[in-house]
Amino acid sequence: MDLLKRVCLYLVRKKGKTATLLAFLLVMATLVLTCFSIQSATITANTNIKKALLGYFTINAKHLDTGITESVLNQILSIDGLSGNYILRSYYYANYYDTDGKLLEISTEGAAQTPAEYENAGKIVASSNSENDSYFTEGGFKLTEGKAITSENGNAVLIHEKFAERNGLTIGDTIQLSDVTDKNRVTDVTVAGIFTSTKEQDAIGTAPSCDLYDNIVFTDLATASYLLYGTEDETNIQFGDFHVNDPEELDHIMEQVQEINGVDWNSCTLTRYDKDYQNAKKSLEGLQNIVFIAIAVVSAICFLVLALFMTLRLRSRIHETGIYLAMGISKGAVLLQYLLEVFIVAAIALLLSYGASAAISNQIGSRLLSQVTAETYETVDLTQNAETAKQPTEDLGLSEIIVEISATDYVIVWAFGLMICLVSTALAAYPIMKMKPKNILSQMS
Amino acid sequence: MNLGTRAILYTARKWRKTLLLFCLLLSITTLVLSGLAISDAQEEQAEELRGTTGTSFTVSRNTATGGWGNGGNGSYSTQEYLTSDMMEKIVAVDGIEGYNASIRTILCLSDVNGQWLEQLEPTGHSMVDCQFYSYSCINSEYHSLFLSGALEMCDGEMLDLSFDNGIIISKEIADKHGLHVGDTIQAVNDPFSNDKTKELKIVGLFEVVADKTDERNNYNEASYYDYANNAFVSETTMKALLENYEDVGYASADFFVNDPEQLEGIIQQVQKITSINWNNFIITANDEVYERVSSSISDTGTLITTLIVVITVVSMVLIILILSMSIRSRKKEMGILLAVGIEKPAVILQYTIETLLIAVAAFPLAYLSSKQFAGMLGTLFGKTAENVIVTTQHFTLVATLGTILLIAAVLISCIPAMRLKPKEILSQME
Repeated sequence: MDLLKRVCLYLVRKKGKTATLLAFLLVMATLVLTCFSIQSATITANTNIKKALLGYFTINAKHLDTGITESVLNQILSIDGLSGNYILRSYYYANYYDTDGKLLEISTEGAAQTPAEYENAGKIVASSNSENDSYFTEGGFKLTEGKAITSENGNAVLIHEKFAERNGLTIGDTIQLSDVTDKNRVTDVTVAGIFTSTKEQDAIGTAPSCDLYDNIVFTDLATASYLLYGTEDETNIQFGDFHVNDPEELDHIMEQVQEINGVDWNSCTLTRYDKDYQNAKKSLEGLQNIVFIAIAVVSAICFLVLALFMTLRLRSRIHETGIYLAMGISKGAVLLQYLLEVFIVAAIALLLSYGASAAISNQIGSRLLSQVTAETYETVDLTQNAETAKQPTEDLGLSEIIVEISATDYVIVWAFGLMICLVSTALAAYPIMKMKPKNILSQMS
Repeated sequence: MNLGTRAILYTARKWRKTLLLFCLLLSITTLVLSGLAISDAQEEQAEELRGTTGTSFTVSRNTATGGWGNGGNGSYSTQEYLTSDMMEKIVAVDGIEGYNASIRTILCLSDVNGQWLEQLEPTGHSMVDCQFYSYSCINSEYHSLFLSGALEMCDGEMLDLSFDNGIIISKEIADKHGLHVGDTIQAVNDPFSNDKTKELKIVGLFEVVADKTDERNNYNEASYYDYANNAFVSETTMKALLENYEDVGYASADFFVNDPEQLEGIIQQVQKITSINWNNFIITANDEVYERVSSSISDTGTLITTLIVVITVVSMVLIILILSMSIRSRKKEMGILLAVGIEKPAVILQYTIETLLIAVAAFPLAYLSSKQFAGMLGTLFGKTAENVIVTTQHFTLVATLGTILLIAAVLISCIPAMRLKPKEILSQME
């Protein structure tokens, strides 16, 4: 009877034993695979935490004659590791006119002084999205009519309701902005929205008239670029806040930015903002370590248990081994038979485990998903006097956590699984193989 | 021969098999114990991580429900201010880590000889150049400028209520005037009035990290002062400096919590303080950072918990498989035992005792080994595992459930063999 036939017959006839071995290997392989898929999912979760801590750097190019030009901006945006979230900003002062070229009236009440040449001027704030400007997010400004200005708007402004009232302006009206220092740069802009300030300006008495809340005008970046730099088709900007995916990479990315040619980086100020990450860094690392230790412990013990189990199984076959040897079958052939039995079962178990762990991973994945949905509907009710902090509406661009088995992990489990089967079978068989058939058989009877 | 002796003899004489079973039980129990410890450690670490998000709530006076008065500088709210008493009551609520409240004013600083200290970039007007934007602090560590990372301490200590007359100034100003931590300077609110001049000891110096020339900051009074021209002053001194003014007080205070998850509950607790008229104050939660990261943190938690559940279930399955395998190979023995007249329950009991004998040794050893194991694996890969601690509760839980499981496993494994008669068993074996 040849070896392969013996293997098959053993597996088929000892159904119970084969089933136990299969179940055991299947359970182990599934556990290790699930472990790996969980580990890669926690890596995604960690990346998300880092991303959500919002590390960013700000380029202050106020002192450059041309600001940050479009080509430089594109080069910055092409740097790896930026999250794609960025805010561009420009600030300036402009004189306000109506369409007939008549100067518009500004508020001077509470101003420390009205600087010469600024009698009809105010601060111009341009941002890629006026909603995200600190005047709106922290300063208590609220849009009462119209829409916020984004980079898609052209020649649009938001004005204070008092400024609108004073000068009889409504949404859709056109006013003119002109550069305070160089009167040649004049541009027509349309009133796209009217805002109000809900907090009192605490700089009353300190601020010059052009900085008073009533006199601030929000506009788009292109308009500000024209007033600041006289650009026609291009939009240059003064400030840029660039968010990165991993705050750990912030330094490296800032270095790369400063390697871009054609910009006098010495005149620019680059500032990193990653306090939240720095605060959380140690705990975050701790959490990562725990995940790592969990996976390491599980994998190590799984392999140990597997090896022990194989040994236990083989020891009950001493008698059989003696008979094989007595029949004149070489030790090598017997060992090979045992190995083949295990390999066949292991192969089936590993194939099945892919399906089993994929099913488990799916379960985990949908559990995470339902958690997210549950959170979306959760409203924080802080009762009467408490105000709820506004929910962060911005899209953080977090990656979806996918719990799945990667091909590499699967291959690793195959390789290690078979290796453990080989080693443990060989080791367990070693003491038996060392004995003479006669000894074995006499020991048994 | 009685049952106990049989069990002990079997265990001792089949020592190789016993050893193998022991090792298996030991490994699996270690796995479960480590799993439980890891799960706890993860929760602890996640809580710590949540704590680093600087979540706070602000209690500020509600100007909408208070009256308005008219003074020299326009209208002002006559709503009551937060008193130290109120703040101490609030901070006494469980889960609040610390708090800060500030009174802001512009102080003129001079050295001990009365020589005005000049700002970083003086304008040339001596009475403007000695003005420093100053905050009184209950605990400067929680001042928003330090929390946001705009300023960082580089020398000396943070200010808190233990200092009566301390001041923190910028390193740049200290360098400009040759001042050091421990030196004394003077401060006055308005040198042209009968305001008191007080002596202050420099307790710390800060460095400016943020870019103040960024115009994003330009919307309040403080923004007209360079960060280097800011100063932080003890509460007691500030009150003495401003004793001639009536509308001085804490308009708002920030309270920082240990665990943002508890924020809602803590705020509710605070609102139950009856000695504060909540009609006059508003509470605002500041948990934006936490809101952003919380879902990802809980994702990690869910993943780890699932892992531990999977481990536990798998371990149970493994134990049943191993025991059933070991007992199935003893069919012949069982037949003989039955044939010599030993009753079925006695046989089962013997097997159970044998298993438990191994467990008695394996469980405590697993307790010890799991205490070492996670830490060892951690240090092996250069990662700290200080938080992974196996507690006695874990052990009790695993030992109890493990024992029940073992007994059940033995009983289940014996069912097929027990259904047969001794004769059948023995004849099946031939």
